[in-house]
Formats: sequence, C-alpha cells, structure tokens
Amino acid sequence: MGSVLDKEGLELPEYTFTVEKGKIREFAAAIGDDNPLYRDGEYAKREGYKDIIAPPTFGIAIDMWGGPGFLGLCRWLELDPLRLLHGEQEFEYLGEINPGDQIRARVRVAKVTQKEGKSGTFTLVRLETEYTNQRQEKVLKSINVLVARDYP
Amino acid sequence: MGYVNLMGLEPGDELPPLEKEPVTEVQLVRYAGASGDFNPIHTVDAVAKKAGLGGVIAHGMLVMGFAAQAVTRWVPNKNLKKLSARFLSMTRPGDVITIAGKVLTKGFQDGKGFITAGFWARDQKGEIKLEGRFEAIID
Repeated sequence: MGSVLDKEGLELPEYTFTVEKGKIREFAAAIGDDNPLYRDGEYAKREGYKDIIAPPTFGIAIDMWGGPGFLGLCRWLELDPLRLLHGEQEFEYLGEINPGDQIRARVRVAKVTQKEGKSGTFTLVRLETEYTNQRQEKVLKSINVLVARDYP
Repeated sequence: MGYVNLMGLEPGDELPPLEKEPVTEVQLVRYAGASGDFNPIHTVDAVAKKAGLGGVIAHGMLVMGFAAQAVTRWVPNKNLKKLSARFLSMTRPGDVITIAGKVLTKGFQDGKGFITAGFWARDQKGEIKLEGRFEAIID
C-alpha cells in the first residue's frame, strides 16, 4: 500500500476524449448557460468560430469522462473520495475545442504538500494537465488543486 | 451578444452581475452526469451526511461554471485567455448564487489591449463561495 505522498512527479496514463455536440449542449444546460455558442453552429461561425465551442470549464468533462473518473482518480492517488475537496482550478485557453475533436490529456502530479490546519493535517495535490487535439495543437492547460482532509 | 465595452472600463470598475436561478438537487444530478463527476457527496444525501457535510453540496466546478457564464457575458470566449478560481465555501440546494466582478488591470500585451479582472460568487446571505480571476484580450 503506497501513499499519495509518493505520487509527486508521476503522470497518469494518457487518455483521449472525443468531443461531441450533445455533450457540450448537456454540459452548458446543466450549468444553465444559454450562450448560443454552445448549441448553434451557424451562430458560432458568424461570430468567427470554427463551429460550436466547448464552454470554459469543459476540461472537467474531458477529465471525468475521458480519464479514470473521479473514483478511479481517487484510487490511483490513494485518496478517500469522501475526504476530498476541490481547492483551486485554473484554465489557460490556447485554442478552440469543437465537436469531433479528439483531445488527448496528459496529467502530471506536479506537487503534493502536507499542511497542518485547524482541524488536523491536510494534503494538497496539484495536478497539471495539457490537452492536445488531433492536429497536435495544444488547446488547453489546467491546474487542479485537490484538498484531502486528515491525511495520511 | 452584447459584451461589455472593455475599452471604456478602468481598474476598479464593476462588471454587471449575473444572478443565477436557485441551485436544485436535480441540477446537481444533471451536472454530475454532464461533467462525469459522480462523487456521491454531490448527489446522495446519506453519503454526504456520513462524510460530515450535513447533506449534498454542489460541485465546485458547477459554481465555477456559473462564473464562466458571467465572464463570457462580459468578454467573448475567443478573447478569454485564463480563468481561475479558489473554492472557499460550500454551495447547497436552495442557494441563489450571484457572480460579480471588477476590473483589476488594463494595459497592453503583445501589441493588444489586455485586461485582468477579479470575480466572486456569493449566495443570498452574502457568503462567498469562490473567488477568481480572468485575463482577456481587448479587441
């Protein structure tokens, strides 16, 4: 049995996610975001985009549906899902993500830090992800800081 | 869509707030399915209670999604370069979230106008759920 502390510097197995129009529409609808760029391709083209685009926080769906999923990620990191919270999230936009794109994600465990808090020890896990499309264009980068309460 | 005229804004100027409909349990189920984040603390009350949360809480990324909706009403998606958020407190069904923002800096980068702005999400009691920043090009 290892520990999350041993994961710093490691990369998750790469994963690929094919972006579908319906998934973009479903994602925007769940947020209640009525921006037509997420459902009307003709409108998006008139506005200067290649097609419908993915909303700014869509990277999470690429990770959760394309990758090991939340529970799989917890298993891989050896963290208890019930004690895990999302601390910080950052996205850097390098290009459009459109329906039909095949996005390959490379996730690296950039840093694992332990801290003493008011309610005990907690662990910060910083994941850095680069997303590349089928034309080998980098389209997105993300930083995700997970907070695990009471570890190890 | 009518975006904010960023050229006319200065640091300290406020961006028009976006008030969302109350968060519902059904919305958390929909967001779980849409995002693929099936952590049961967002959808199964008994599990959330067992985890010491008192009941289901919203995905932080759902509230960041609200913030992104506000940001992309302020600036076109294609001008948005960076978006970040720190999650500060939990959002629960029934909470009414408002996203507000303020211009932080305005200048030039690589020959183009460039702004940074801060934003935050607060509920009906004024509790701050997240705070964040974005960077965007001004056309």
